[in-house]
Amino acid sequence: MNVTREEAAKALDDIDKASDRVFQLQGYHHGAPHFIIWGLVWLAANSASYFLTDAARFAWPIALAFGFVASTVVGILQSRKWPKGKTASAAERRFGSRMGMTAGIVMLFIVCITLIAQPTDSREINAMISIVFPFLYMAGGIWAGWRLFAIGLVTAAAIIFGYFWLAEHFELWMGLFGGGSLIAGGIWLRTA
Amino acid sequence: MDGPDEIIHQSTRLRIAATLNALPSGELMEFGKLKSILGATDGNMATHLAALEKAGYIAVEKDFVGKKPRTRVSFTRVGRRAFERHVAYLKDLLEGGG
Repeated sequence: MNVTREEAAKALDDIDKASDRVFQLQGYHHGAPHFIIWGLVWLAANSASYFLTDAARFAWPIALAFGFVASTVVGILQSRKWPKGKTASAAERRFGSRMGMTAGIVMLFIVCITLIAQPTDSREINAMISIVFPFLYMAGGIWAGWRLFAIGLVTAAAIIFGYFWLAEHFELWMGLFGGGSLIAGGIWLRTA
Repeated sequence: MDGPDEIIHQSTRLRIAATLNALPSGELMEFGKLKSILGATDGNMATHLAALEKAGYIAVEKDFVGKKPRTRVSFTRVGRRAFERHVAYLKDLLEGGG
């Protein structure tokens, strides 16, 4: 059997494309439950703030605590979900710790812009913090896959529309469409 | 330098092998998912999976989820080694070793 250099180049290109597709799907499947969790956090915290005005100050801390705990537990379960006798490679462990550090930097960035911009009401704070994440999804989507980009785009559009045109009902909008777009996005990633 | 692996080199089988090789060792992939990734037909996939299985390169597991039949495939150690050798051969060829 003879293989030409052109055939070899095409074969290696096919191998790269197939590997990239698998990594993309694995990223989607790992990300899906986290999108659903944070969608539920947005839905619950915003809805509680809208309907139960007195409980608003407790809604976000409780929902965020749930989100961090649930996301951490899911992350641990995902890292354990390896074939029997196998463990995550050093590269995969590095990826996990880098993701954790990235989340920490994003949180620090949000604290900084909140301190600098000093938003005056809950709608501004909500919008300013919430809008960071869809743009991160879009940036990540450029590298990881178009579905992630699309989720970011739809969520960012929902936040901007709600902030400028539905100010009176912003929290309800954010709960239903901000949280809803994340939940739907998570289910969509799962089906990829 | 080893020669090309004639079983793996065929285009669809190469893409099947590359896809399975990208999974963690021992992890199974559902037939439907593999088919959708490769954009292949049922018949085409079945033919090429049978060739890879006959060579001992993949393992095919069939079971039921509820009442629904499920077919999953994974790369064997022999298959992974054959794939790695074939990739090394292709790289050598491109770098002028062939």
